[in-house]
Amino acid sequence: MNYGRELLKGNTDSLLLCLISRRPTYGYQIVKELEKRSNGYFQFKEGTLYPALHRLERDNLISGKWQILPNGQQRRYYYITERGQQVLANRLATWQDFSTAVKAVMQTETT
Amino acid sequence: MVSSISHYLNRFKDCLHIDQNIKDGVAEELYTHLEEKTQELEENGLSKEEAGKIAVQSLGSPELIAQQIYETHAQGSWKEALFSASPHLLVALLFTSYYWQNIVYVSIILASTVGIAIYGWHRGKPVWLFPWLGYYLMPVVITGILLLSLPQGWGWIAALIYIPLALFVFIHIVRQTARRDWLYASLMLAPMLVTFTWFSSLGTGNELLASDWIARLQTNALWIVISFVALAGATIAFIRLKPRRYKILSLLVPPLIILLSVTMASRGNINSWGWLILFFSLSAFAIPVWMQARAYQ
Repeated sequence: MNYGRELLKGNTDSLLLCLISRRPTYGYQIVKELEKRSNGYFQFKEGTLYPALHRLERDNLISGKWQILPNGQQRRYYYITERGQQVLANRLATWQDFSTAVKAVMQTETT
Repeated sequence: MVSSISHYLNRFKDCLHIDQNIKDGVAEELYTHLEEKTQELEENGLSKEEAGKIAVQSLGSPELIAQQIYETHAQGSWKEALFSASPHLLVALLFTSYYWQNIVYVSIILASTVGIAIYGWHRGKPVWLFPWLGYYLMPVVITGILLLSLPQGWGWIAALIYIPLALFVFIHIVRQTARRDWLYASLMLAPMLVTFTWFSSLGTGNELLASDWIARLQTNALWIVISFVALAGATIAFIRLKPRRYKILSLLVPPLIILLSVTMASRGNINSWGWLILFFSLSAFAIPVWMQARAYQ
């Protein structure tokens, strides 16, 4: 399988938690935001987002609430929970350490 | 004409077997996603039809999303798994301790089963409910069978009044359960399979029940315990496993163990009533699993 896709798969939950921690958001907006922030690098089948969101909700890392917009349209907004914030902080710290270590090794290899 | 969005959502709902409220919620979420994407594409100059098709394509296979959503919601906790298996273990305990002949213990267990089943039925039918529901239905069916053995035609008169009512309750519960998920119907009918299969091994000649059936039941107590423990194990596996195909496999293990233990215990000496009951019991268990396997193809 494609290495980039594997990396994205392994980090989807962290990316979602990170986006939701910035502000409550909904499925379609998450897709747009991921694409925009990654300059189009993160492109995936949009449907795979919803199982990931439901998994995070089941694990009590986020919570979803339906909201009715002034035009009558309904959207399910996701909020990060306290537990989700703790998990995100841990994952960010791990990621920082990991990327620093990878960078150090890779740079040694290329120089 | 059915729009591509409706068609997509129907396909999604058809292959997702979870609680109806959760299913409707996810479908609504996908619908709002598709609506927004379609609207955006239309604003970029595409026709409604083209926009709908592209929106649906970008969401990906509805079967795959349904499968992933199912795996998220289908796995019960250990607590739920143990609670689901506990009626089977209770029955096994009854036979291990020989309390199955004690009317007080049996009545307490029956009353608890009825209470728990009614509570679960009115509390959104959680996954732990279905084995309890199976035991709840058992007295309904057994009463009908016993009525037939009343003397001098009274049996048929009583049965004619009782059977339509019992059938109504039975069919209603099985339909409601199967509507949610065929596999839950199998899980629910499993205790009946075990009980009726054992029942079938107690007859002699053309008699439904041999005169010494209590003694025969006592002799086979160990095999009966093994059957119910196997059922408890399969129930725990069913609740804890995520992929649907593994759940199906877990449901196929107990009939094999039970069939084997009944054959071993009776040394293959099962009368015609026994074979008939055995056939219906196994069918009741296997049909829902078969229906599901067909739906997969």
